[in-house]
Amino acid sequence: MKSKTIVAPIVGVVTFLAVWEFVVRVFAVRPFVLRAPSRICAYLWKHLDDYAGAGWVTVQHALVGLGLALLSALLIGSAMAASAFFEQAAQPVLTLVQVTPFVAYIASMVLWLGPGTRPAVFVVALVCMPAFAFAAVDGMRGADPASRELLASVDASRWEVLWRLRLPAASPSLFTAARYNVGLALIAAYLVEGGNFANEGLGAIGKRAAALNEGNALWGAVFAMAIIGSVMLIAISLAQRFTLHWHASQRSQQR
Amino acid sequence: MFDSSSVAGPAVTVRGLAKAFGELDIIGDTMIGDTSAPLDLDIEPGTFVSIIGPSGCGKSTLLRVIAGLEPATSGDVVVFGQSPQLARTHKRVAMVPQQPGLLPWRTVAANASLLLDVNKRANPVDVGDPVRLLGAVGLDEFVHAYPHELSGGMQQRVALVRALALNAPLLVMDEPFAALDEITRAEMRVLVNRLVSGTGVTVLFVTHSIDEAVALSDRVLVSSPRPLRVVADVAIDLPRPRATNIEDQPRFVELSRSVRSALREAMQA
Repeated sequence: MKSKTIVAPIVGVVTFLAVWEFVVRVFAVRPFVLRAPSRICAYLWKHLDDYAGAGWVTVQHALVGLGLALLSALLIGSAMAASAFFEQAAQPVLTLVQVTPFVAYIASMVLWLGPGTRPAVFVVALVCMPAFAFAAVDGMRGADPASRELLASVDASRWEVLWRLRLPAASPSLFTAARYNVGLALIAAYLVEGGNFANEGLGAIGKRAAALNEGNALWGAVFAMAIIGSVMLIAISLAQRFTLHWHASQRSQQR
Repeated sequence: MFDSSSVAGPAVTVRGLAKAFGELDIIGDTMIGDTSAPLDLDIEPGTFVSIIGPSGCGKSTLLRVIAGLEPATSGDVVVFGQSPQLARTHKRVAMVPQQPGLLPWRTVAANASLLLDVNKRANPVDVGDPVRLLGAVGLDEFVHAYPHELSGGMQQRVALVRALALNAPLLVMDEPFAALDEITRAEMRVLVNRLVSGTGVTVLFVTHSIDEAVALSDRVLVSSPRPLRVVADVAIDLPRPRATNIEDQPRFVELSRSVRSALREAMQA
C-alpha cells in the first residue's frame, strides 16, 4: 500500500510533464506561448541558488501567515461556536474577506504596513483565516452531544470542554481547510511579494520576469511555486495521518 | 468504592417534582387544579432501582433532572443532601449514557479516566483505578486500543468503567444496553451485578427491558406513559449475589410477570 501511494502521484506528474513536452515539441509551439518543461527545469537548475533563496522567503511568508490565520481562526471560531449572536455578526465579514479579490487591495496594504514582510504575512493571514474559522465552527459544533452531556455531568469547565472535546473534534475539518489554504497562502504571498518593493521571494522574481519578458525566469518561478506547494501538501498529509489516525478518513486510506 | 449506605437519610429524594417543556408535561402533571399529580420518590442508599416504562415517558428526563443537567419546573430534588446542581459540581453523580460517548482520539485507558481528568479539584480522595477496572471488565488487552477497534459491547464496558472510576455514590444509567444485541446484554447484566451489587453504590437505571430490570434491581418502578408517574413499585426479593442463570428461576419469572402486568395496566390507563 505504501509504495502505491508514492508511485501513483509520481506517475501522474511525470505523465503530465511528458504530454506537455510532447505537445510543445511535436507541434513546435512558440516559446512565448508555451515552453517545454525540460527547458524550464534546466533554467531552474542553473539558477537554483536564486530560486531556493527566494522560495525560502515565500515559504516563510506563507507559513507564518497560515499560523497566524489558524490562531486567530481558533479564537474567532470558539467565540462563534459559543455565541450565536457573534456567529451571525462575524459570518458576513468572514465571507466578505473570502470573496473579495485581495489582489485589489495589496497596494493599500503595502502603503499601510510598509514594504517587505509585514504586508505579505498580513494578507496571507487575512485571506486564509475565513476557511479556518468556518472549519473550526463546524467541527466544534459537531462534537458528539453524548460526550458534551457527559462532560457537563461532572461540571467540566468551558475551557475543558473546548480543550478536551471541541478542538479535537474540529481537527479533521481544520486539516481539510489547511489543504485548501496552502494553495491560497502561497498565491497570496507570491502576489504581495510582487508589489511590496522588497525584491524578495518568488513573487518578486515572477514580477520582474513578467515586466522584462523573461519567459524562462517566470516559468521557473511557477515551477518553484508548484514544488513548494506539493511539498507543503505532502507535509500536511503526513501530519494528518499521524494526528488523525483515529478518524474514519484516515482508516479508509489504510485499507 | 463509596459506601453510600453509611450516609444518613435517603440517597435521592424527589418531592412534588414536575417538569415541562413549554406546554408539554414530561414529569408529573403541572396542570393547575385537581388533576395535579407531581412526582414523589425516595431512593434508599445502596439500592439498585430501575425505572421501566414506555418509550418517551420521561424516564430519561427524570435522570437528567436528578443528575443536575436539567432544572425542574417545580418541586424539589435532593441528592445526598444537596441540590442536583451542587451534587454535579461535586462530581457525586456518575453517568452511563445510552451511547457510550467515547472520544475517538483517546485510547481506551484515557477514555476510562476522562471523568477524572476534568474538573479535577472535585475528585473524591479515593478515586477508582481505571486500568484495574478495565481489567475487571475483561478489557486488559485493549487498554491501549482506540474505540473504533472495539465492539459495541466493549465500548459500553469502557463507558461503565469510566463512570465507576469516579467512585460517585450515585450511578445513573440511561438505557445503557439498549443498542446491544441480546447475548451482549445478558453478559452486561452479569457484569453490572458483579461490579455494583454489594458496593454500597446507589444506582438509578432506566430501561425498556423487563428482564434487565428484574435481574439487576432491588426495586422496579413502573412508569405511566408521558407525563411520567410511578404507577407500580415492585420490590425484587431475589437473593444477592445474583446467579448467572437468575432468569431461569421461578421467582424471577413470577416477578417479571408482575412487572409486565403492571406495565400493561400503565399502558391502558
